[in-house]
Amino acid sequence: MAYPRELIRNFCIIAHIDHGKSTLADRLMERTETVSSRDMADQLLDSMDIERERGITIKSTAVQMFYKHTDGKTYMLNLIDTPGHVDFTYEVSRALAACDGAVLIVDATQGIEAQTLANVYLAVDNGLEILPVINKIDLPSADPENAIREIEDIIGLPAEDAPQVSAKTGLNVEQVLERIVSDFPAPKGETDAPLRALIFDSYYDNYKGALSYVRIMDGSVRPGDRIRFMHTGNEFDVTEVGVFSPSLKPVKELSAGEVGYISASIKSVAETKVGDTITLAENPAGEPLHGYKQASPMVFCGIYPADGAEYENLRDALEKLILNDASISYEPETSQALGYGFRCGFLGLLHMEIAQERLEREFDLDLVTTAPSVIYRVILTDGSVVMIDNPANLPSPTEIERMEEPMCLSHIMTPPEYVGTIMELCQEKRGIFQDMVYLEQSRVKLTYQIPLNEIIFDFFDSLKSRSRGYASFDYEISDYVQSDLVKLDFLLNGDMCDALSTIVHRDKAYAKGRAVAEKLQEVIPRQQFEIPIQAAIGGKIIARETVRALRKDVLAKCYGGDITRKKKLLEKQKEGKKRMRQIGSVELPSEAFMSVLRIN
Amino acid sequence: MAGLYIHIPFCKRKCAYCDFISFAGREDFLPYTAALITEMRLYAPLLKEKRFETVFIGGGTPSLLPAWLVKRILGEARECFSISDGAEITIECNPESVSEAKLSEYLSAGVNRLSIGMQSADNAVLAAIGRLHDREGFLSAFELAKKAGFTNINIDIMHGIQKQTCESYLDSLRLAASLGAAHISSYSLILEEHTPLYEAVSSGKAILPDEDETADMQDAGIELLESLGYHRYEISNFAKSGFECRHNINYWNNGDYLGLGAAAHSALHIRDKWVRFRNHETIEEYVKALGEGKLPLAETQEVEREDEMFECVMMGLRKLEGVSRAEFEARFGIDPVEQYAAAVSAATLDGMMEVTEERMKLTRRGLDFQNEVLLNFM
Repeated sequence: MAYPRELIRNFCIIAHIDHGKSTLADRLMERTETVSSRDMADQLLDSMDIERERGITIKSTAVQMFYKHTDGKTYMLNLIDTPGHVDFTYEVSRALAACDGAVLIVDATQGIEAQTLANVYLAVDNGLEILPVINKIDLPSADPENAIREIEDIIGLPAEDAPQVSAKTGLNVEQVLERIVSDFPAPKGETDAPLRALIFDSYYDNYKGALSYVRIMDGSVRPGDRIRFMHTGNEFDVTEVGVFSPSLKPVKELSAGEVGYISASIKSVAETKVGDTITLAENPAGEPLHGYKQASPMVFCGIYPADGAEYENLRDALEKLILNDASISYEPETSQALGYGFRCGFLGLLHMEIAQERLEREFDLDLVTTAPSVIYRVILTDGSVVMIDNPANLPSPTEIERMEEPMCLSHIMTPPEYVGTIMELCQEKRGIFQDMVYLEQSRVKLTYQIPLNEIIFDFFDSLKSRSRGYASFDYEISDYVQSDLVKLDFLLNGDMCDALSTIVHRDKAYAKGRAVAEKLQEVIPRQQFEIPIQAAIGGKIIARETVRALRKDVLAKCYGGDITRKKKLLEKQKEGKKRMRQIGSVELPSEAFMSVLRIN
Repeated sequence: MAGLYIHIPFCKRKCAYCDFISFAGREDFLPYTAALITEMRLYAPLLKEKRFETVFIGGGTPSLLPAWLVKRILGEARECFSISDGAEITIECNPESVSEAKLSEYLSAGVNRLSIGMQSADNAVLAAIGRLHDREGFLSAFELAKKAGFTNINIDIMHGIQKQTCESYLDSLRLAASLGAAHISSYSLILEEHTPLYEAVSSGKAILPDEDETADMQDAGIELLESLGYHRYEISNFAKSGFECRHNINYWNNGDYLGLGAAAHSALHIRDKWVRFRNHETIEEYVKALGEGKLPLAETQEVEREDEMFECVMMGLRKLEGVSRAEFEARFGIDPVEQYAAAVSAATLDGMMEVTEERMKLTRRGLDFQNEVLLNFM
């Protein structure tokens, strides 16, 4: 029995980090008695530890609520959560495509941020109704009038009657529920048409396999149906369909307008690609839903176990991680410095950091990570083209005709007082100025073309520190452009350390080489011999530092009371040594590889 | 043989670099001494068979105790334990807390070795590290000791400390030698966490000579002392022939020792087991346990055979003569060169170690990198 379509509302919440998305979602669930406040973890939608610590949502989930409106009817509200970071723009767009309305939360103490704006535009592009909600009005610094003005000026949405709430205290949350029903349209779609289900997320369940989280656009689906994924062409038999209440709850059928999951004993989320359309094999739809894209990794790095013996465990961990996140790519690689490991690809820098943290935390691994790299397009003298994601694999300069690197169209929003310093930063990062607009008196939007290779290092951190946290940033990859790039190598005691090599613009190579050499000089512990550190471009040394030889490594005093403690100190020293990497004759701590990443 | 250590955890003032267990500004010497005596009596029946060749009263500042209490402690020790007639009996003193009368009483109590904490003969250095004496104070204390009749005197000297230059350090060594000290302990400062000096250095308020300067001092000091007739017999210890500290050599031989007093450590063969134990660290806990007639133990640990072997190497290689292969084999039934074949071979190839028929020992370079050598023996 399909739920009456006119009583269904599918919506999402758009908000900047920390503006209160999860808190509002919690209140909505409480008010609709979807979960009781007693047994609800503080932030139910953000179920992974890392997400909670970083205050962001990585994987979207969904929840079904029932709300009795003042008109006496009970509405089914499907809240679809969206990832809140720049690396996941495509995932966000598919989640939005599954909705008919979006609640836009604006923090009454902060106003609108670049990321929010980017997502609002995405929502508008997807034809969603937008309901602005002013949050945190309980705070003394709240300025709801300003927030309303910003929404009207910057986004161009009427916001005079926007609900003013405190998600924290629950104040006026009821209004949000009422407006979701009254402002958002009921889903369209034909129950009798051939099935078209949009995958907006997927999740690997240890017992059920890969689940497709779907919005049914047309038709219906039930257990026993044979389904086809229209882009991959693969077919499976449905074992279960269900809804999120918020835990998985099987139902007899999902039909047009509804949101739920489809389980079909699928082994990997690589089969259930976000944006793909599920149809029935027997009675397929003519056309898939549009908007499907293959998410492709943009940022690459080498990931190695700190202890070489952990290689197998790292491989197992990556296999498991990928069960749940098909956008990560990995393949085995070998480094002279680091031994056996993997070259892994990610959607962006944050995605990479999150994946590393998950590997370390959830799989209890100790990792060494090399500097991130983008994919360079290298045109060889013989006319052939190679794509290089690992600086160590760059052909020799004599074989290279020219090189190209990916650019990003970057939008930065900032209060005007930081415009100067931010423009300076963009210049330093080889940015090409495109546009500057005063969105209103207190907010400027800067647009630059910046090479991705500059962004993946510390652009975001620098932006935050230069603007005291006020500037926000969003980017999309644009095209490849020709660039004067060189490979910067580092030699330790005369031996090249492949894992430290990076590809940089020629103009920056000297400064970078010098900075990294200095940093290495700080982090490499003194050893029994002097260690020269050299930075080189194509065999030419451009910077040199020296780690002086260690003179003594002995405990001056050791009497009866010191023996136990001395043994412990030696054990610690031995443990530390195990984590060292041998580059020729030089022992390099794994921290060395990390610390060179954080260099301007 | 075995050594007896007696800890006196009192100081007039704590030095900024010190991480020994000692408490400043207390004078509850009597209850503490009473507890020490109780502790001796509790151990007496257990250690009837042990023969003690050395006694060391250390601290803290043992010379803060009134001399009659030292006499009482040593008298009780003789009652409880079998202490050899020719035993080496040392007491540590600070220059500002000795007097002629006190020193004579030490002698009559059987003390035959003094260890004086000079640390430096440079008044600027002494003031910087917060010692209570100056160069003149030390000189008069040393004169008193000689006048009282002490012939076996050690002087403690540090290097790598605030305001110190290499010349200042060498001058301190020269002074100690010119006074005729029988023994010189010359330590490089160990900057220990949780000390005021550590905080001061971390916050930039105190500046220490850097690693290289300190290493230069040490190297120059070794050379100077050897030219003055003091042979280096352990990493930081120098003596005129025949005046090596027997009590400490026992530690470096990983021998039996009983430690009495708050925070004291012990290691004893008990029923063929090698057992380490240590006492409560505060005076209150220590006195309370003994008041209830209980041993004041904070931790007891039986050391596995492999670990005991490693301890013998770790401690033994601190001595310039190194580890006696015969003694090791007598204790463990295996030649250490065989037991640690790979480590010995690596250290020898690196020029860190020398092996003879009788001994395995570190070279001059090996002594500088003892930690690195030991890692391969673990």
